[in-house]
Amino acid sequence: MRITIDNDAAKFVVRLADTEMILGQRLCEMCSNGPFLEEDIALSNVALDLIGRAEQLYKIVSEIENKGLSADDYAYRRNEREYFCLKLVEQPNTDFAWTITRSYLHDVYANEVFKQLLKSDIPNLAGLSEKVLIEIRYNLTHARDWMLRLGIGTEESNSRVQGAVDQMFRYVPEIFHWDVVDNKYLSDTAAIEKSWKSEVSALLKEANIKEPELMDVVMRDYREGFHSEFLGHILTEMQFLPRAYPDAKW
Amino acid sequence: MVAIQKNNETQKFWDLLSEVPDPEIPVINLVELGVVRNIELDGQTIIVTVTPTYTGCPAKKLFNDLITEKLNVNGYNNVEIITQLHPVWNTDWLSEETKAKMYKDGISPPTDDNLVITCPHCHSTNTEMVSQFGSTPCQSLYKCLDCLEPFNYFKCHR
Ligand SMILES: [Zn+2]
Repeated sequence: MRITIDNDAAKFVVRLADTEMILGQRLCEMCSNGPFLEEDIALSNVALDLIGRAEQLYKIVSEIENKGLSADDYAYRRNEREYFCLKLVEQPNTDFAWTITRSYLHDVYANEVFKQLLKSDIPNLAGLSEKVLIEIRYNLTHARDWMLRLGIGTEESNSRVQGAVDQMFRYVPEIFHWDVVDNKYLSDTAAIEKSWKSEVSALLKEANIKEPELMDVVMRDYREGFHSEFLGHILTEMQFLPRAYPDAKW
Repeated sequence: MVAIQKNNETQKFWDLLSEVPDPEIPVINLVELGVVRNIELDGQTIIVTVTPTYTGCPAKKLFNDLITEKLNVNGYNNVEIITQLHPVWNTDWLSEETKAKMYKDGISPPTDDNLVITCPHCHSTNTEMVSQFGSTPCQSLYKCLDCLEPFNYFKCHR
């Protein structure tokens, strides 16, 4: 079965849902793999926030599309090319600095997006955004603290986080390559880009990390279902159980 | 604190749900936690409106099951749960009495904007955060710099 998403509002919301879902899945991989116990618990808690947020967003998609598909169907029964998450959040946990940098760049973006969605007229989205923003505040503080600790820590930690920023910045340009759907449901996309850049620049400076130049968009867009090499692997693991046992119940 | 409307007809259900402990902080119950927002009767059906604490709270589904079970074992078999995200659950819904219970149980209750965090063991405010995220999504891990004991702090959420 191929699941298409036809309504513009649903197309917009599913991008957010997929982005939160895949970052949540990536952070789940850190459960029992954190550098120490408290951090392990912290990353797992952030993962819970993201997956809970994704679930609510999928419910909104499901209601708008009204095709008898549940939130779980959207999460577990779409293929790679039917997913619409940012390439940024697909990047692997190669190094703890990668994990933190990926979350930080995402959290700044998500914070700006949900702030604008406080006034969204998509049903239930404004109320959910209010909830999400309270949670993001804690997620963002956590990621930002680590960026600083790594950046101004030791020569080793600085070089690792510098490497992570250089790597993750390759996946930033597409975020701001807004299309008509984005512009229809976000009140001011240019302001999101501006706030993102000023927050990130200031943090990198404070953390003694060199800010890489943002390249032109060279990769095909996530909004069209194009991804990095990693998404297929993430979905393989994430969707195994519901695909192998489609009627499995908790 | 948002006043919850109760009337004689539904009071017995509020009383029953006040006997359901929060699965993660059993010293307080689901009504005190503020997740039970409304109880209405529609014919024979009891409609309970629930607002989860966190979108990803693992206890979310469990809240609904515990509520349904409690009413079922007391002979009320027609229970419908409505999940309502808005108004957003927040720690202002915890009464002073509820906070006092938490404190007595060793959990430092939420304070405005997380400014003053008191050690539940020795009452010192000379405390520091160990980790933003504790044993549950709604708590942070702290340690007391006077008695040196670790403790959980229920984060301000609003
Ligand atoms: Zn103490």
